Amino acid sequence: MKCELAHERIVTGAYGELPDDQAHELDRHLAECAGCRQEREQLLAMKVLADALPVVEPGPNLVARSRLRLDEALDALPAMHWYERVVQRLMNSVAGLQAAPLAACLLLVAGLGAGGLGGFEFAQNRAAHAAATTPALATAKVPAPAQATAAAQPEIANVASISGIVRQPGTEMVEVSYNQLVPRKINGSLDDPEIRQLLMLATENSSSAGVRDDSVGLLAAECRAGHSCQGAGIRDALMVALRYDRNAAVREKALEGLEPYVSQDVRVRNAVLEALLNDSDPRIRTESINLLEPVEADTSVRQVLYSVSTSDDNPQIRNTSRQVLSRVPEIQ
Amino acid sequence: MGGAGRDGAGPDAAGKEQARLQARADENELIREAQGGSRVAFDSLVRQYEHQVLRLALHLTGSEHDAEDIYQEAFLKAFRYIGNFRFECSFYTWIYRIVTNLCLDQLRRKKTRREDHAVVLDHSGDEIDLLASVSDNRSFSNPARELDRKQLGEKIQAALVKLTPRERMVFELKHYQGLRLRTIGEMLNTTEETAKNTLFRATKKLRGQLAELR
Repeated sequence: MKCELAHERIVTGAYGELPDDQAHELDRHLAECAGCRQEREQLLAMKVLADALPVVEPGPNLVARSRLRLDEALDALPAMHWYERVVQRLMNSVAGLQAAPLAACLLLVAGLGAGGLGGFEFAQNRAAHAAATTPALATAKVPAPAQATAAAQPEIANVASISGIVRQPGTEMVEVSYNQLVPRKINGSLDDPEIRQLLMLATENSSSAGVRDDSVGLLAAECRAGHSCQGAGIRDALMVALRYDRNAAVREKALEGLEPYVSQDVRVRNAVLEALLNDSDPRIRTESINLLEPVEADTSVRQVLYSVSTSDDNPQIRNTSRQVLSRVPEIQ
Repeated sequence: MGGAGRDGAGPDAAGKEQARLQARADENELIREAQGGSRVAFDSLVRQYEHQVLRLALHLTGSEHDAEDIYQEAFLKAFRYIGNFRFECSFYTWIYRIVTNLCLDQLRRKKTRREDHAVVLDHSGDEIDLLASVSDNRSFSNPARELDRKQLGEKIQAALVKLTPRERMVFELKHYQGLRLRTIGEMLNTTEETAKNTLFRATKKLRGQLAELR
């Protein structure tokens, strides 16, 4: 075996892709060629060095953020019209038939035959129908728009979704079923479960930062005032807002609302730690440090504070972290 | 030296093959439903592949933000073009083909702009310490080792950046993601032989770059 070929097979073999017979041949060559043995050693050393850049598993936050963003983008895509769905199904069927030529040919012949016959029948019926109804159609068409305005057609507005489309055969008439958004208002106390439920929904309102700001602010105020934030997912809603809301003012209010629970709820503490590490707004990161001070003895908190004190881009945040760390004796 | 895997023998291998075929059949059913417009079916497909997609994008780009963008683009493209999927290859290969093309585009753009990420950045641009998620306090009691590890990682990253985008992609898929050369060839729309030659060139270049570190 020539060394040039051996060098290629050394690489293939190092990655487990060499067939057994070629591996055997290579082993025989390596037993006699010091140069190629050195080549193999160098390649194995390179593999070890390359492993110094580990493959990081995506964290749950990254996965969650990515999913959320994808869901929003998919929700924002316009729904396909019924005729687009039909065309796509036809294309899929055609594509499937491409893999079955004989079946495709037979189907084509049968389809042509049926289509020809059906078309002939349809043309005959249409001619007969046109001959019988032409005078009436001329008059029916004219008042049709007037009839439409006279009849009590519902106003098409605030359409949430289209649930069905039915065409009456042989006519231009189509029945479309749709769901409508009905704007409504409700008055109630902040302690009212229905009001709280609506406020929590509002924290996820992706279109209006103002609505999100108001809802998060109200819920946060409730929590800070010591009103019940245990049940009904209010704390969860604030944590989601802190982690994912694009508006810094909303995230700041969520952080303030979670303050009473940093000591007692590990999930809240973790959310605040993530804000300290990841939030783009330095005010929020600084506020997170202040919130974590009562629990700086927690190992996770100390680890994050240490990391921030050495690596944060913002000098004030690095300084504040160091000050908090220095106030607590070293934990052995 | 490693060689090609030996043929499996006995009931275990047959059982595994059956399970694999069943899983493939289930997946094909999901794909057909997604092609029919089922969002639930498409979401199930996303769940099956999202970790691999993010892992690959994150390691190649070194940035959570870029990895998110690639994830977004890849699955939106998959949603848009799933009607074109013809079951001629596995859905795994198909989705990876989309992801690798997006990653190649990203690598080409970075090469033009000469952006090097020596460390992994989170979504707000802050550096993630790779060991911070490990519950091991030794990393904080040995800053010197921390620094060595970080510098070594930077040197590896700098060496990888010097590869062509295609070489980098093949090396990434083979060395870090552990895919077979035949699969890599399918994903990059080329042959197994070409993928093998590209891997050979990549390792040769890397050996030269990293020689000083040994």
